[in-house]
Amino acid sequence: MIPAMAKIQFCVLFVLYIVIKCDSVNVDTISSDIKIKNVDRSIDISSQLVKITSKVTLENTGKVPVKTFLLAVEGTAKNNLAFIGAKDSSNKDLRLVETTVKGYDQVKFWRVELKDTINAGSTVVITTESVYTKALQPFPTAITQQEDQLVKYNGNLYFYSPYNVASQKTNVIINTKSVESFTKVKPFSQQDGTIVYGTYANIAPFSEKELNVHYKNNSPFLTVTRLERLIEVSHWGNIAVEEIIEIEHTGAKLKGPFSRYDYQQDHHSGPASVRSYKTLLPASASDVYYRDTNGNISTSNMKVKKDSVELDLRPRYPLFGGWRSHYTLGYNVPSYEYLYHSGNEYLLKMRAVDHVFDDMQIDELVTKVILPEGSTSIKVNFPFPVTRLPDSLHYTYLDTKGRPVISFTKKNVVENHIQDFQIRYTFPRLLMFQEPLLVVGFLYTLFLCVIIYVRLDFSIHKPEHPHKD
Amino acid sequence: MTVEVQSKAKLSQLTSDKQLTFIKLAVLSMAAILSFATRLFSVLRFESVIHEFDPYFNYRTTRFLTEEGFYQFHNWFDDRAWYPLGRIIGGTIYPGLMVTSATLYNIMQFFNITIDIRNVCVFLAPFFSSLTTLVTYLLTKELKNEGAGLVAAAMIAIVPGYISRSVAGSYDNEGIAIFCMLLTYYFWIKAVNTGTILWATMTALAYFYMVSSWGGYVFLINLIPLHVLALMLLGRFSARVYVAYSTLYCVGTILSMQISFVGFQPVQSSEHMLALGTFGLCQLYAFTQYLREHLSPANFELMFKALLTTLLATLGTAIVVLTVTGKISPWTGRFYSLLDPSYAKNHIPIIASVSEHQPTSWSSFYFDLQVLVFLFPAGLYFCFTRLTDANIFIILYGVLSIYFAGVMVRLMLVLAPVMCIVSGVAASSLLSLHVKDIEPKVEKHDKKKKHENNLVFRSEVGALFVCVLGCLLVSYVFHCTWVTSEAYSSPSIVLSARAHDGARIIFDDFREAYTWLKMNTPQDAKVMSWWDYGYQITAMANRTVIVDNNTWNNTHISRVGQAMASSEEHAYEIMRELDVDYVLVIFGGLVGYSSDDINKFLWMVRIGGSTERGAHIREADYYTGSGEFRVDAQGSPTLLNCLMYKMSYYKFGLVYTEGGRPPGYDRVRGAEIGNKDFNLDVLEEAYTTEHWLVRIYKVKPLPNRGL
Repeated sequence: MIPAMAKIQFCVLFVLYIVIKCDSVNVDTISSDIKIKNVDRSIDISSQLVKITSKVTLENTGKVPVKTFLLAVEGTAKNNLAFIGAKDSSNKDLRLVETTVKGYDQVKFWRVELKDTINAGSTVVITTESVYTKALQPFPTAITQQEDQLVKYNGNLYFYSPYNVASQKTNVIINTKSVESFTKVKPFSQQDGTIVYGTYANIAPFSEKELNVHYKNNSPFLTVTRLERLIEVSHWGNIAVEEIIEIEHTGAKLKGPFSRYDYQQDHHSGPASVRSYKTLLPASASDVYYRDTNGNISTSNMKVKKDSVELDLRPRYPLFGGWRSHYTLGYNVPSYEYLYHSGNEYLLKMRAVDHVFDDMQIDELVTKVILPEGSTSIKVNFPFPVTRLPDSLHYTYLDTKGRPVISFTKKNVVENHIQDFQIRYTFPRLLMFQEPLLVVGFLYTLFLCVIIYVRLDFSIHKPEHPHKD
Repeated sequence: MTVEVQSKAKLSQLTSDKQLTFIKLAVLSMAAILSFATRLFSVLRFESVIHEFDPYFNYRTTRFLTEEGFYQFHNWFDDRAWYPLGRIIGGTIYPGLMVTSATLYNIMQFFNITIDIRNVCVFLAPFFSSLTTLVTYLLTKELKNEGAGLVAAAMIAIVPGYISRSVAGSYDNEGIAIFCMLLTYYFWIKAVNTGTILWATMTALAYFYMVSSWGGYVFLINLIPLHVLALMLLGRFSARVYVAYSTLYCVGTILSMQISFVGFQPVQSSEHMLALGTFGLCQLYAFTQYLREHLSPANFELMFKALLTTLLATLGTAIVVLTVTGKISPWTGRFYSLLDPSYAKNHIPIIASVSEHQPTSWSSFYFDLQVLVFLFPAGLYFCFTRLTDANIFIILYGVLSIYFAGVMVRLMLVLAPVMCIVSGVAASSLLSLHVKDIEPKVEKHDKKKKHENNLVFRSEVGALFVCVLGCLLVSYVFHCTWVTSEAYSSPSIVLSARAHDGARIIFDDFREAYTWLKMNTPQDAKVMSWWDYGYQITAMANRTVIVDNNTWNNTHISRVGQAMASSEEHAYEIMRELDVDYVLVIFGGLVGYSSDDINKFLWMVRIGGSTERGAHIREADYYTGSGEFRVDAQGSPTLLNCLMYKMSYYKFGLVYTEGGRPPGYDRVRGAEIGNKDFNLDVLEEAYTTEHWLVRIYKVKPLPNRGL
């Protein structure tokens, strides 16, 4: 019964997946019925990411109920966009489908499919969230050890939308008082750590006006340039996770010498450098190791908390602008938390990417899942669009025909992508005994050979003096 | 001993023959396991990591071999070392070690045992020590009997003199070479005892393996001819020896010439001439024997005299001609220093600067061998009492290696196995002599002997003696474990110390610096450092170095020494000439690490000043008026302003290192530094590690014109 259900469920998902794929060539039109009554937008640029959260009040001024509406991202910013999402008033995720609109080739559109239709004349409140990476440019691009890091944010003063916006307000959160300069379009006000723009009334669709903020930002500007996540599933009760991480400080580059004396004497020295960061692992993680190509990195602390294991990772050296580092982090988790089965059908549910540090940005993610030897009819379901890499085989201890490896990659990943992927596969449970039997068989043959060699005489002729003692 | 008792009790129902086999197997396998296990201290305390300096080169080349294959390896021109000269790796190393571990690695990969190549390298030496234990048993069994073999095997499993170079992570040639050497000896003894071509060929093969893995094969190829000569002089030369040696020499020499680093040396260099001469002598000896049988004594006399004169004359001219034309290479310095301990110190500073080339002190004999030192003479006595061809060999080996071990600390390694073998013979003979006495014998069978052995307190004396020897052996076990744990099990790449509260502090500065270099400097950056750190930089940081531990070019090293010993302006010229981007120095003054560059500095001065271009560097300039080497205010101004001093102590004058001392107090030299307030003009600090152990400087480019 349950496998059948699972199959149907999978089929539905699969059809949906195909629909999504097909939709990307679909064309939408901008409905003139939809108006935006109010936008309350906050741009958080206090970390290395730009996180824009907008509370949008939509109104249906037409006569027919509306089921979908469009979200737009400026052509200039679309390359930096890592994540976009929308939630309705009850905080439920809404489905977004990438789409295009004729005549706006440069703009990137998403069609948001609402759970309930907006009836004629009524309003609905939607919260959209988008995260941009590499949108903050350090300026100056190189600083000395003692200097603070200044960055420039370059954005849109108005909420970018294909619809007319009746009124809008923007909060820019910078969490610092030291602002070099910022765009001054009235009305605006500067408060503790925030700049407030608006209210602006009646802004036409697709309006763009430059918003510049040049301010101090000493938060860690760390980019994971490549993360390779290896998940090895064992049916003997363990899942081994290993992450190979290449990391770079992508803030303002270090200019001139690095003085260890200053760095040790004055704790405020090197404000833009990163001494350590925290990585959160699943609460059941054990046997954690932290090493690089030259061996174990002895500078780390582990704290076991209620809902996670907190690792305080210190790279071998503090990371200044432009400095890179490389390490491997691995741990084991018990498989009962992630692996479900019914008969010979298995379902693996694990995170496609896990936490590296707060406000992380990952340029390239490669996740590889190694399934037990003998797994067949593998079906994969991803929470977000990824590029599937060709499947391969992995050979390790006591393997004969190799373990299937499912791998996929995605560019520009942020914390919002910490979501579960699902892999379904069939594994005949009797195959569990293959490996122990292999060892038993080998030892049996070995002893048999020894017995035969010892008991039987293989010499061509008998030695003249038989062996004494 | 206890094991034997237990197993005896359990297996009493078996026949005595089977019991013996079982005990032998048990003792041997336990010795083999023990020899593996006792070498794992550093892995358990730290991690599975390669130690020291040379092993890093071996590790790097092994990695290259496994990744690129043998032919690429054989033709490898390494542009990462000896910039701008480079180094032909394939032709300048003994590839046995790398090929061994690559083979093991490939076999395991074939069976899907996905062990990392680093772990293969780390555990190779302990694995080969286990094999050595087995070979020692076989060899001693050939010399004496199985009992002596078992004792010797147990002894060599834990002897510190051997452990010092074969702990896990010490991935060096010696790790497998001792196994090869003992294997060759075993086959040689077999060949001499049987006189079969089979065993002689096996000897040649083992010898080939030995040649491919260690330069110390020269010892072997001189020892075996010496044995043959000794047998000739003692009148024990026989057809067996003739067959054994002739086969070994022909096959072995041809095989050894296949190693490109050895090349034509076996027929050209003076170090191999003894073997060649003995081979010739063997043929002559055999030929004269043959003639003597077929000629009348008078004719033979005439013939013999004529032949001898011609031969000697031809040989003499040939040697003179070959030496003059340079076909016979001159004796290398390392070999001279074997014969004359003071040779190196007076002539070649680069050889003398290596601590393992220093003469051995008396205490280190006891430290490395303990009870074996006392058992060795007894063992020699037992060897002399029953003189056989094999015993003569082991006596020769023992005496020669004692001499060589006295000349060079490093050769303690060659001495340790023979100490174990001879001591094994001694302990076994002594024990079997006295254990018999403890139990009063059933004396029915030998009534005649009763009168001869009529000694009082016979069994008491026997028991006492066995007790004393037992105590000595137990103390040997404790001593060996202690020495291994305390002295020979630190990886030296990671340092550890105890804090005041007993917590362990780890100084991981070397890897910190090398990783920094690897990740944050341009791929083609050239790093200058003293040659000690060359191998580690190329292996761990993957950067080009100017000089490294393969000290083949004295002038190049001397140039680096000159840069370190010169003033900043002069050093800048040298560094520009060598195209240096970064300079790396080791500085222990903050944490008290005594083998840092300031303490090695006098060697840099000596080596720097030993060539023509370094004539301006005089050792005397770096001493105070009273001839002391001081870094404080009384130190010589030349020292206080040279590049090495400035790089080590840059900004150190501001640091408080110890309570109650002024800032800039150097904890190694125990002095407040003399030159505190200075700036660097041509260098800038690029990186200094957490405990200041490694300091890296960047060489500034030439200033722009008009500034």
